[in-house]
Amino acid sequence: MDRGWWWKFGMIVAVTLGTIWFLVPTYYSLVVLDRSERNNIAVLEQRLPKWAPPAKYRLNLGLDLQGGIHMVMRVDTKTALQKRTERRGQQIATYINDKKLGEVTAETDPERLQLVLTAKDPATMDAIQKEVLATFTDFTLESRNGGTLVLKPDESQVNRFRDEAVDQAMLVIRRRIDKWGVAEVDVRKLGTDSIQISLPGRSNPEQAKELVGTTAQLEFRMVDDTNPQVFAQMFQQHPPPADSKITLVEDEGFPQLSSPNREALLAYTKDKTPPGRDVVTECVANPVKKNDCIAYRSYLLDKNVPLTGESLAGADASVSQMNEPEVNIAFDPAGAREFEKLTEAAVGRRMAIVLDDNVHTAPRINEKIGGGRARITMGRASGRSFEEWLGEAQTLALVLKAGALPAPVTVGEIRQVGATLGDELIKKGSLAALVGLALVVVFMAVYYRKSGLIADVALLLNGLLILAGLAFFNATLTLPGIAGFVLTLGIAVDANVLINERIREELSHGKSARAAVDQGYDRAFWTIFDAHVTTLIAGFILFFTGTGPIRGFATTLIVGLLASLFTSIVVTRVITTYFVHGRNAQSVSV
Amino acid sequence: MQILKHKTHIDFIGKRKPALFISTLVNLAIIVGIAAVGFNFGVDFAGGTVVELKYNTPTTAEQVREKAQAGGLHDVSVQGVGAAEENSFLLRMGGVTQLTEENAEHAKAAIQGLGETRNVYADMANGIVNFRSSQPMNAQAVKKAVEAAGIGVQEVRDLGANQGGTGYDYQVVASGMADKVFSALSAGLDKPNFEQRRVDYVGPQVGKQLRNRGIMALLYSMVAILIYVAFRFDFKFGPGALLSMVHDVIMVAGYYLVSRREFNLTSIAALLTIVGYSVNDTIVIYDRIREDMAKYKGKPLPEIINIAVNDTLGRTILTSGVTALSLIGLLIFGVGEIFDFAMAMLVGILVGTYSSVYIASPLVIWLDERAHAREGHHGAKQEPKAA
Repeated sequence: MDRGWWWKFGMIVAVTLGTIWFLVPTYYSLVVLDRSERNNIAVLEQRLPKWAPPAKYRLNLGLDLQGGIHMVMRVDTKTALQKRTERRGQQIATYINDKKLGEVTAETDPERLQLVLTAKDPATMDAIQKEVLATFTDFTLESRNGGTLVLKPDESQVNRFRDEAVDQAMLVIRRRIDKWGVAEVDVRKLGTDSIQISLPGRSNPEQAKELVGTTAQLEFRMVDDTNPQVFAQMFQQHPPPADSKITLVEDEGFPQLSSPNREALLAYTKDKTPPGRDVVTECVANPVKKNDCIAYRSYLLDKNVPLTGESLAGADASVSQMNEPEVNIAFDPAGAREFEKLTEAAVGRRMAIVLDDNVHTAPRINEKIGGGRARITMGRASGRSFEEWLGEAQTLALVLKAGALPAPVTVGEIRQVGATLGDELIKKGSLAALVGLALVVVFMAVYYRKSGLIADVALLLNGLLILAGLAFFNATLTLPGIAGFVLTLGIAVDANVLINERIREELSHGKSARAAVDQGYDRAFWTIFDAHVTTLIAGFILFFTGTGPIRGFATTLIVGLLASLFTSIVVTRVITTYFVHGRNAQSVSV
Repeated sequence: MQILKHKTHIDFIGKRKPALFISTLVNLAIIVGIAAVGFNFGVDFAGGTVVELKYNTPTTAEQVREKAQAGGLHDVSVQGVGAAEENSFLLRMGGVTQLTEENAEHAKAAIQGLGETRNVYADMANGIVNFRSSQPMNAQAVKKAVEAAGIGVQEVRDLGANQGGTGYDYQVVASGMADKVFSALSAGLDKPNFEQRRVDYVGPQVGKQLRNRGIMALLYSMVAILIYVAFRFDFKFGPGALLSMVHDVIMVAGYYLVSRREFNLTSIAALLTIVGYSVNDTIVIYDRIREDMAKYKGKPLPEIINIAVNDTLGRTILTSGVTALSLIGLLIFGVGEIFDFAMAMLVGILVGTYSSVYIASPLVIWLDERAHAREGHHGAKQEPKAA
């Protein structure tokens, strides 16, 4: 046995041990933990032994295997665009009338999303056309027919608006699901106008659809600051239970209750809230993952809702002359009157902006605000950069718009698998995989004797490597994934068959055991390599172009093929070399 | 142990013409069948709703169907899942929401009856009825009116006043089909006597998107494999590998066509696996042909191919056999999609083995002959060369 062999042998042992070590979190999450805690990474983190890899490196079960809801929501950007075009058309008409260029009426063609301007006096149209195209650059000329001008929203503007609408919808959906208290939710953008949502463990698709699909509810409500110590007193008089993790914190001089558990916080305050008031929570965003709440803080709000998002005409983020980020909001005429009345009566109080029962911000009213325009100045408190504040302002503008301008969402796809069906599928699926594996293992051992046993060792290591590889990529094992697992084992067997058949062939040509093994491996190498690479190509293309189950299948295929290359070419050769070279055998058992 | 005790000398290449003829015929028949009859597309591609239910008490598909029809679900298909004593059924419907061509008219009439409305139009794909009213409306009243017309309403959305002052916009969002199934089947019961195990809705647009992406994935991977084979081997090997791939994919598609099993995203995964397997098999034989071309210089190509195919025959049978063996578990214990996947794979392995011998290899000869004929025309004749 030369040194090179020992090195290789050592590497294989290290890889095997590393693989087993890496599967510890997967073992804990699927076998040790109770099913209800399967998706709770915090619980897993606690239960894992100290020496185990981080809990995030574990194999997830797909929704088809563990039960849950998968949905794709389509954002109805067309309706949102139509509303926006309508608004812009009105602005254009007002502008033309103000400039005394003539009188126009604006109408939107909802089908083609075009803006049709009709002049009262066709003779004024030349001047109007020139002025409109020069000033409203987000529109381009589609056609002109006498006194009628057809305008089309500029493509890049439309795309930007569409992106914004999808971002708004995502923000709202994320917040709502967080409120529902589902662990390990996954919300992500799919294509240009769809949002994909995974809700493990949930079982009512109609309820999920309603939760995600209803329009956002935006409210302006007054904060009750008559007794700023209300939460501090509550905390001292009724110490909260330890498991609620409620603590007293202070924000700009106002004591608040804070807890990572929203339900616990609401349950605690429920019977202690003064009459006519509500406790509404604010989400303290995780500084790294903006959409996650690390804690919830309490606000005491008047039950009465004087103003809702329906009165809002628009919101934008900008930078003031003092170089401070701010959010400008505009109300419709009725809303403006209501807002003026409200602010007049409440100078010095704080007004909470509440979206879907979540306090977004609670700025202080400094003076009576008339004219239907208000400005929320973000300030430049220490500890945060200008960019962060500007980002905050943009988010707030998005939230306000999400309440004011609904870009309605509709269901593109919902798939729900009940938990018992999921359990049954995983039981049957793994049984099927084990039976297939056992049949192959027995066959190989009988057919190729000692070489077959070596191939079996490689095959089992291959299986472990696939699972560890999937855990490393934090991949999700789905039903087609199990099928891909079995297929990959088939391909791995093929590699061993190729090698052993070659060795037999070389032996039949009268070569010595050593020469036959070496030549068998050398000759089979490129065949195995080509066969694996071609299938790998298919795997990668599947991965990049496929969706859902196809992707799960592709991931398993890719990891499996890489593992198979390693086990069939390196592992079996090192073991075979030990028996043939090391023992200086005169024969090889194939 | 050995499957083939002695070296075989089967003349595969001599039978290439009848084999090619029969293969072409079968392939054409499948293509015609797909064009004429079409696949039994699952909700993944066709769009629609599938609900899987498990009853607590012995129930037959006929009882479920009657109950569904009594509840107003007329186009529902009911199919048993697994053994009869499992009392599990798949209910399949065309629509995603309760808004259909037929009842959209009722909904429109109901809305128009509420007052002065215009621009009433049904967005069938999204299950939404849009309208503009000259007066602000009460959402509850709209909901009640539409529900009275027989359509479950999830929500009435108030989109606010139109800027031109011409009215107020509203959207009526219809409830999903599953809701209707649930209420139809549990009508007259205190508590539903079944468990809702699975619900799949796929909207028609998403379905189309999924199907197109699936087919594109299939095509892209075939092209990529062709390029790899063409460069790694020789250009005359490429088309053979490609055509045998196409052959295998069509044959497996034929399985879905003839068996009427549901064609869905998993079926696409199966077809893609076949592409991988088929090419895997072809490559092994090509590899041997290339090796033998260097070894037996001067021998005619058909003879070399016969030697190569015969030499690798033991391995070919063994590999197909072992891969088929690994599928047995899936065939016995696999339910639904897993079973279909395994069955399609089995068909793919059989035709894949056949096609690498009878389609991929003869095409190399044909292309080689053509290349020779052309070179002959231009003068210098060259020996066949391996890459």
